[in-house]
Amino acid sequence: MKALLTAIFVALLPAAGLRAAPAAPVRAACVMHFDGDWRVAGGLPEKAMLIGLQGLANRGAPRFYIVQAPSYQWEITGPLCDFYRSAYGVAFTEVASADQALSLFGRYVRGYVVWDRNAPTSLNVAFTIAGLEDALVVDDELIPLAERHGLRRIEDLRGRYTGKTDAQITSDARDRYWARCNHDSIILMGGQSGPIRVPGMADWGVQGRMFFENLSADPGHPDELALERRFMADLNPNGTIFGWHPYGKDTEEEHTTLLSTYGLKMEGLQSLPNLSFNSQFTFTPGFRFTNNHTIARDAHPVAGRKAYLSFIQSDGVGLGVWTKPGRGRIPLAWGAIMSWVKYSPAALEYFHESATPKDYFIGGLSGPAYMYPNHIPAARFGPLMHEARDLMAVLDERIFEIMDNSAADGNVGNADLTKETVDRYYREFPDVIGFVNGYGPARTRDLRDGRPMISYDYYVDPGRPREEVAADLDELIALNPIRPYFCLVHVRETNDVNSLIEAIGSLHGPVEVVPLDRFMRLAAGAKTYVTRYQHPDDPKHFTAFDATPKKAP
Amino acid sequence: MVFVSLPVMRRSLFLIIGLCPLPLAAFAGDPGLNGRWRLEAAQSSKLDGWTGVDLVIAADGPKVVLRYDMSWRQTKVSAVNRVDTWHPVSISNFFRIDQRHMAVYAQSGQPARVQAEWIDGGRTLRVEAEVTVEVSQGNQVMRLYDEFRLLEGGGELELIELHSTRNRPLVYFFARVADASPTTP
Repeated sequence: MKALLTAIFVALLPAAGLRAAPAAPVRAACVMHFDGDWRVAGGLPEKAMLIGLQGLANRGAPRFYIVQAPSYQWEITGPLCDFYRSAYGVAFTEVASADQALSLFGRYVRGYVVWDRNAPTSLNVAFTIAGLEDALVVDDELIPLAERHGLRRIEDLRGRYTGKTDAQITSDARDRYWARCNHDSIILMGGQSGPIRVPGMADWGVQGRMFFENLSADPGHPDELALERRFMADLNPNGTIFGWHPYGKDTEEEHTTLLSTYGLKMEGLQSLPNLSFNSQFTFTPGFRFTNNHTIARDAHPVAGRKAYLSFIQSDGVGLGVWTKPGRGRIPLAWGAIMSWVKYSPAALEYFHESATPKDYFIGGLSGPAYMYPNHIPAARFGPLMHEARDLMAVLDERIFEIMDNSAADGNVGNADLTKETVDRYYREFPDVIGFVNGYGPARTRDLRDGRPMISYDYYVDPGRPREEVAADLDELIALNPIRPYFCLVHVRETNDVNSLIEAIGSLHGPVEVVPLDRFMRLAAGAKTYVTRYQHPDDPKHFTAFDATPKKAP
Repeated sequence: MVFVSLPVMRRSLFLIIGLCPLPLAAFAGDPGLNGRWRLEAAQSSKLDGWTGVDLVIAADGPKVVLRYDMSWRQTKVSAVNRVDTWHPVSISNFFRIDQRHMAVYAQSGQPARVQAEWIDGGRTLRVEAEVTVEVSQGNQVMRLYDEFRLLEGGGELELIELHSTRNRPLVYFFARVADASPTTP
């Protein structure tokens, strides 16, 4: 009965979407709370079904939102749900079960597709079919549930891919479905492999009729790499790879390098939830970003004889530190995900509204989304950075962050920019007051027109004992004896800010932690750092891709 | 009064020293130090940017070869420091176990001046080096002081490292690798 009432309630949702305002009448949507079980042999099949259903239900209007378990990588789903309530006037009705969800949203589904647990990659094929055919994604155990809701079988993948490799499965799916899929974007449903899969972004791919795959960019997997190149070559210019690379097969560096050679953008992670819902909101009426600038663009502060530290968290503002205690106690710059202006405006507004005066947003990463600039084709660099500038203007950002780990190995190694790349950034961003480079430490530095480019001198590993962090920072200060010394520090997202503050408090000598914009203006007036770019002789971990994208045959 | 020229005096001094029953350890290390040693990360100072460290020691009289087999994800690095306990040496690519989350980079073009000595009856190798590193403000010299100590029982090795620029020692413990396999963890 409750399900019936809820179904009637949801059926009355406005089809035109929720362009909500704080003062607007209460709007209706449904919310479901997930647990943290993503095991293929456990909670994954039902969650995959529900996330796919979410993508179909949210076509045309934001009807279905999912709050993830507290342990989930994206910790903002709960707070953002509250924000939709308070700022957008959304009245959420709780959905208690998959059965109830099907009662509510079954009318957006034409049938079901069965994926094969024995060939987990078939789940990607099923999601692709779901988007094209408005199909519910089920495994064999969920077939009775689908049929109870009157759904008919559209495709059955059981047995089709038994014993097949990922390259073979994806190649077959490409032949069957790619021509009908969205060619502006693709879902790289990587992330975890083996007994756990977290396809949190599948709603977005299903909603947008995207092709799902999890191909490797490792040259050691030539069949998969060749196929991935074909997809990237087929995507329209300015295309986007949504999702994340497959952890078990390749590296973030390999995949991001590859897509950058095609001038494509990476929007992660594959676990990012609710884009099909979030993308249908705009900012609340009258809302405008006002960043916490602490200094005028043209100010000329005089640096003292001390070490200046500034801290940045760039892993995506929705991950980790934001929701943890300690934020607001020290100046901390945040790499906001600029593209959320398009995909999750409410989330950006939530971060803005919950920011403390010591939180400061910066643009990045490397472009309008994540990419490695040393490998972006010259012809694509300008259009991409134009898009980035526009997003920065919306977000009232004045500092741009760059990261190129194409020659690095994880967060260590060569993360430097060639002089040609540095030239391009200075040319394309005439209005920024400074650039940040790196993830782990790097040594690209410059100062042009009073605008510094400074790399991280230190990366705070969350697992590093705080007394060692203090000793590391003290040592950097000792090794850089000229005052002022400008030390840029990257704070990994899982760090605890309170313990970081303790480490800073134990440093020796005159040290000042300053907001990033002030840091840049101080560094503009006292160039005690050496200009340097990536040198051809610098060690490179990875050089396996040539820079010329190969067109699909 | 008899004056003795300096060269004659030096030769005499060497002769006297040579006839004295000095302990063998003044010239040679404990052979127990030789072999492959593997980092015991849990007992050691936290090491950023390396997941595996093998230290291979080969001492032959005053000549000591210290080889480091380092690993991090897909990165494998092998580096060798050849020291001499009788004479200071210049090493063009001096290797130190670095914390890779700090922007402190080895400078291969700047040779390090390195002195080594057997102490504690040959159970400890002391190595002192002046190493040029690249930092934000250019090249700087870091003075290193290392002691490689063979611990009681001979199954463990302790490396204590001091930097002229660091106010905390770095302490690494290694366990002997019985089969001396060339692979790193």
